Amino acid sequence: MRRISTASLMSLHIVPIVFIRDLSKLYRQGDINIAALHDVSLDIASGEFIVLMGPSGSGKSTLLHIIAGIDRPTHGSCRVQDTDVARLNESQLADWRNRNVGFVFQSFNLIPVLTAFENVELPLLLTGLNASRRRQQVTTALNLVGLGDRQDHLPRQLSGGQEQRVAIARALVTDPPLIVADEPTGNLDAKSATDVLEILRNLSQQAGKTVIMVTHDPKAAAYGTRQLHLEKGEIVV
Amino acid sequence: MTLGGFILKNALRNKRRALLSVLSVAVSLFLFITLQVALRELTQPPEDLGSSLRIIVRNRVSLVSPLPARQLQVIEKIPGIVAVTPFTFFGGLYKGDERFTSFAQFAVDPVRVKDVIIDAKVDDTEYASWVADRTLCIVGLDTARRYNLKRGDRMQFTGTFFPCDLDLRVAGFYHGTADDRTVFFHQRYLDEALGNPGTVGCWWARAASPEDAALVTARIDQAFANSSAEVRAETERAFQLGFISMWANIKVLIGSICTVVVFTLLLVTVSTMSMAIRERFRELAVLKALGFRRRELLGFILAESFGLSMLGAVLGAGGAWLLYRNLDIQKLANGVFLAFEVTPRMMGMAFAIAALLGIFSAIGPAFSVARTSVVEGLRTLD
Ligand SMILES: Nc1ncnc2c1ncn2[C@@H]1O[C@H](COP(=O)(O)OP(=O)(O)O)[C@@H](O)[C@H]1O
Ligand SMILES: [Mg+2]
Repeated sequence: MRRISTASLMSLHIVPIVFIRDLSKLYRQGDINIAALHDVSLDIASGEFIVLMGPSGSGKSTLLHIIAGIDRPTHGSCRVQDTDVARLNESQLADWRNRNVGFVFQSFNLIPVLTAFENVELPLLLTGLNASRRRQQVTTALNLVGLGDRQDHLPRQLSGGQEQRVAIARALVTDPPLIVADEPTGNLDAKSATDVLEILRNLSQQAGKTVIMVTHDPKAAAYGTRQLHLEKGEIVV
Repeated sequence: MTLGGFILKNALRNKRRALLSVLSVAVSLFLFITLQVALRELTQPPEDLGSSLRIIVRNRVSLVSPLPARQLQVIEKIPGIVAVTPFTFFGGLYKGDERFTSFAQFAVDPVRVKDVIIDAKVDDTEYASWVADRTLCIVGLDTARRYNLKRGDRMQFTGTFFPCDLDLRVAGFYHGTADDRTVFFHQRYLDEALGNPGTVGCWWARAASPEDAALVTARIDQAFANSSAEVRAETERAFQLGFISMWANIKVLIGSICTVVVFTLLLVTVSTMSMAIRERFRELAVLKALGFRRRELLGFILAESFGLSMLGAVLGAGGAWLLYRNLDIQKLANGVFLAFEVTPRMMGMAFAIAALLGIFSAIGPAFSVARTSVVEGLRTLD
């Protein structure tokens, strides 16, 4: 019984944020359908740090993409904070992502011609905040990931670990409730990976963000409040 | 950072490529404008009232065959003719010119010519002194300025077409015609130098009104039909147009060069732009994930390609406009072009081409960016 986190159990019932029911994602390959996801049902509570594990090709990224609103399911529903993401049209979805989801990718995906500050500022350009409010939020986000002194550096002037921390700052600058990270430590050395994982854990524990992270690394998985295993498109316990 | 700043940083991210695409637009539009101006100057002589009143009478055989001097009395009496003067092209070489002198010299009757070339303005005393002395000449103001000529200066011409030379002195200057470059001297001076052959090069006459001109030319032709020297009379305007019709092929040629220039430019810009965007596919997918909508990405792409090609237009078309405004084209083109004017219409065309280039080269990349989902875009490798 002690293995179960009381906190996550409670929050699961108090403030759930993601509801997934009978979710399937099929890809047509010639005459046959390949199921990247097969009848997945899942609830995620606000403030959880979910870790998605499983062999390559098991559907982890697909699940993450659907929750984050950059991919659509073939069947089933995925509701995030009472929004049926699959029902939104392209432009509503873009707007929804801007306000609700922060993305962290394996390969950082910063814009190479923009400084750390400008990269973090990018999602705020869509918000209508004035320049001084933007500056304030960007500075806060960069300080939070420990890069307050690297604002004017271009991505190529930063180490991999620092780039990923800039990416995390970009993900949280709009203060979204949900942060998704697809193998965020996959390209990092052990020390940088630890830094990144600690930041993500702090985001869920202290800032109340819901974090969903895909990883292969059991050490990284240990940072989560709950681990889910996917195999052939299904969640296995 | 503003959205404009973001677009600018993207456009300049590969500085050499941005520079090359701006320059290719600039050079092509410069060439385009140059060709258009040349075409216009070649095919549209300055139109003035004088050129539809004036009638040129030449030998039917060819422009260089002389006409008998006695035709004067006949032409004079033709109804509708106000004035007529001999008009003999001397075509000599001035000063150091070795093969070609860019201004013409004509032998005329100094009294009669005043009523034929009515737009020329000459000082009364200068005119009187010219009429009184057959060794004097009247010089167009442009030529006078170019050679810094003053009254009393000597002008010597070596004959190329006629077996004699001219040794003239400047009586004065004229201005106010479409081409103020010619030197006029006495037909009698030429007659004497040639031993009075009793011929002239052409006749220039003036009709009473433009409406009369057509009728008058027919009458002149008729007056000398079946004589030993049949003539061909036409208005100065028709005469000019006759020369211009020789340029018709050139017009087609220039038109096709312009088309090829624009088309090549289109290919170059389109491929440059799609290269620039393809490189950034993954970043554009990231922007989409961050919440940028299709129309915003389309705006970025359009602003970038539009901005680059417009900059090219400003440099190329603007450069051509500035250059040709400040260039002494008469000197440079040896007098073939009297003017080399870039019209607002040409500038408009150049900028319209640039705008279309910007739009056309954005369409392809914008379309493929819109069609690619975030997930697909993220999967593309850098
Ligand atoms: N665009 C696609 N077309 C066909 N099959 C795809 C496509 N995207 C993903 N798949 C398949 O879906 C399955 C799950 O993919 P993914 O979610 O990326 O796995 P993971 O992230 O766990 O490695 C894989 O078998 C993959 O081949
Ligand atoms: Mg994956």
